[in-house]
Amino acid sequence: MPDTQALVNDFLNKLKKLKIEGSQATARQNAELLRSVISQQRVPYTNQAGALIDAVKAVGEQLIAANPVELAVGNIVRRVLHIIREEDLSLTTAAIGGLNLSAVSDDENDDDRDGDSTLSAAAVAAAARSTLRPPSLQTLLEDTPVSAAVPQTSSSGGDSEGKSKSADKSSRSRKLKHDVIEAVNEQIADIVICHEQIAEQAVEHIHQNEVILTLGSSRTVLEFLFAAKEKKRSFRVFVAEGAPRYQGHLLAKELVARGLQTTLITDSAVFAMISRVNMVIVGAHAVMANGGVIAPVGMNLVALAAQKHAVPFVVLAGSHKLCPLYPHNPEVLLNELRSPSELLDFGEFSDCMDFGSGSGSPLLHVVNPAFDYVPPKLVSLFITDAGGHNPSYMYRLIADYYSADDLVVQRRATAGN
Amino acid sequence: MQFDDQGRVNKSKKRAVFNQPEAKNRVELFRHLPQYEHGSQLTDLESKFLELDSMHPAVYKVGVQYLAGDVTGGNARCIAMLRAFQEVINDYSTPPGKTLVRDLTAKISSYVSFLIECRPLSMSMGNAIRFQKSRIAKLPLTLSETEAKAALCNDIDRFINEKIILADKVIVRHAATKVRDGDVLLTYGSSCVVEMILLYAHELGKQFRVVVVDSRPKHEGQALLRRLLAKGLSCTYTHINAVSYIMHEVTRVFLGASSVLSNGTTYSRVGTACVAMVAHAFRVPVLICCEAYKFHERVQLDSICSNELGDSNDIARVPGRPDVNSMDNRTNEKNLQFLNLMYDATPSEYVSMIITDYGMIPPTSVPVIVREYRREYLLI
Repeated sequence: MPDTQALVNDFLNKLKKLKIEGSQATARQNAELLRSVISQQRVPYTNQAGALIDAVKAVGEQLIAANPVELAVGNIVRRVLHIIREEDLSLTTAAIGGLNLSAVSDDENDDDRDGDSTLSAAAVAAAARSTLRPPSLQTLLEDTPVSAAVPQTSSSGGDSEGKSKSADKSSRSRKLKHDVIEAVNEQIADIVICHEQIAEQAVEHIHQNEVILTLGSSRTVLEFLFAAKEKKRSFRVFVAEGAPRYQGHLLAKELVARGLQTTLITDSAVFAMISRVNMVIVGAHAVMANGGVIAPVGMNLVALAAQKHAVPFVVLAGSHKLCPLYPHNPEVLLNELRSPSELLDFGEFSDCMDFGSGSGSPLLHVVNPAFDYVPPKLVSLFITDAGGHNPSYMYRLIADYYSADDLVVQRRATAGN
Repeated sequence: MQFDDQGRVNKSKKRAVFNQPEAKNRVELFRHLPQYEHGSQLTDLESKFLELDSMHPAVYKVGVQYLAGDVTGGNARCIAMLRAFQEVINDYSTPPGKTLVRDLTAKISSYVSFLIECRPLSMSMGNAIRFQKSRIAKLPLTLSETEAKAALCNDIDRFINEKIILADKVIVRHAATKVRDGDVLLTYGSSCVVEMILLYAHELGKQFRVVVVDSRPKHEGQALLRRLLAKGLSCTYTHINAVSYIMHEVTRVFLGASSVLSNGTTYSRVGTACVAMVAHAFRVPVLICCEAYKFHERVQLDSICSNELGDSNDIARVPGRPDVNSMDNRTNEKNLQFLNLMYDATPSEYVSMIITDYGMIPPTSVPVIVREYRREYLLI
């Protein structure tokens, strides 16, 4: 336990001091940290899933609070919680299936919701019709008979469940943790190779003699363009420098090193040049549930210009960037304001920014946001490691990765609902 | 002149006053525009000072000021050029065997081509030169040389006074009526007319805030910011990427222009089109403040057919950022080009209103003014 606490504190420190660059690295380290938390967690014999979930939520709360703008942290925490619930569910159904009960199309819900092992029929039926489970045809057609069948099974199942639990509780406990850790490992592997999977789709989108515009620097975009170059597609790239971080310069350097024709332009020239561009390909910081994109500042400008000239605006994002939250007022809540010194030289303007002189309030405010919000109607296509999607489809992907219970990562008081 | 035509380029090089090496890594799309290596131009021109006996020193001085970037902005450049021409006319004496009209026109043309070498003409300067040449051509033949020279200098004075100085005052009066208490006004870069408007409205006692948007590589907004703060206006400063962030609190956008073309397109500092587009998306009115002498009968659809290319080193080098500047040695890589556009064309649908000395007009009325009112100043 003290071991994990030290790891958690270390990671919290890194998050608070913004020492980790990029959401992929953050996501990977986060997943590894949660894996160690899970493996170190001692689980009781009953309701192990609940204990694991509590432990992960405890750590997750702190991680999210450390850097609320880095949405990948919250995503991974919610994914791990979803994995725990899923694994527990599959183990429970396997156990019940092994007791030779009548085929129940509804699966028993996770019992960790109220922390009680005995289930009421109503709870099971309601949970079975939980919105995140895609309704199977049998559920839709056999609505009443199922709910009638459930009380029998639960009453008889309750006893047999007790028996089964006492019988193989030890093997089950080991199995749950084991399965969960395996699934988390798969997640980590997915995060690590997301760039390759996205880059594989490059050939479908870039043909010959294309002119591509991008802003700032994104590793996903870099790999995407390299993959197209490998497949001998000829294209030129306009890179907008992306003030005030000027990451466009770094991207241009890398592209030139690989032999791509690159032109570096200022951000103010984006509207002037976009009429000669075939496609805009950019990376994202996070993708929200409505299909909106949180991207480095300046992206909204590019998206509007692309819409005006009917140029496709393609966003590349690994699936660890998909966030199940809806962006309410994203310019303020999901943004961070950086230091004015990146825009103005303090030496020249310090007299104007001084709170002490004059009437006490400074005449000059400097605004330097780090992120921009691009609404879903400006995005033509999302390319993720799971394929290409419309912005209107992104909300469905949430069901694959997240559970509805985990949208607010907070430890609940022990009483059940 | 078409710079993609090698024959013409060679001819102009022979006539050139000073040596300008062409840039090595030219952007393909802009082959029709001149692009020079900026490092050695100024020293080269300065070294030629004593050799240029055919060049009037006032014109030479203005040329050096253009090249060094000391005089920028449509109005300032135009006034500087016209004052230099005044001195030329004052010092002029007709050589024997030639007429004043023809000889003076030829001299002015040669000076103009020198100024073009230093920096391509802005539209305002082009219109002023046309006015000048037409006044010379219209001189009655009965005038003696001194009378002719006096008349021409007088015309120049009137042009500057009526078309620029008084026009600016009229524009400022009109525009100040559009500023209400509690407004948040956004401006981009540094336009002398917009600065006058803001200061005048502040003097009138209106309560408003100013947002100054700036961009690389020139950071012209910083000079404007300093002057506004000195007068006590409360300002917000940001860079062009953050325009979407700040636009939701803005009530009006005031922009300056280098010229307004006959199809309603505004030709102004690069980045103006981006600001106007975002303002349009947020339903904020965009007001262009431009004197009528800057209107032109040309039409342009995009920013590429006609533009000015600046120094590519300004893009490659970011002052104060050594981590980014390690790319400097890359300027000679053949795959990498830097594009430093100076102007861009804002489509007319983003502009709500143009404030000129003839009043406040919609962008569609620009060709009307060009056609109906142009004749007027030719006849003064």
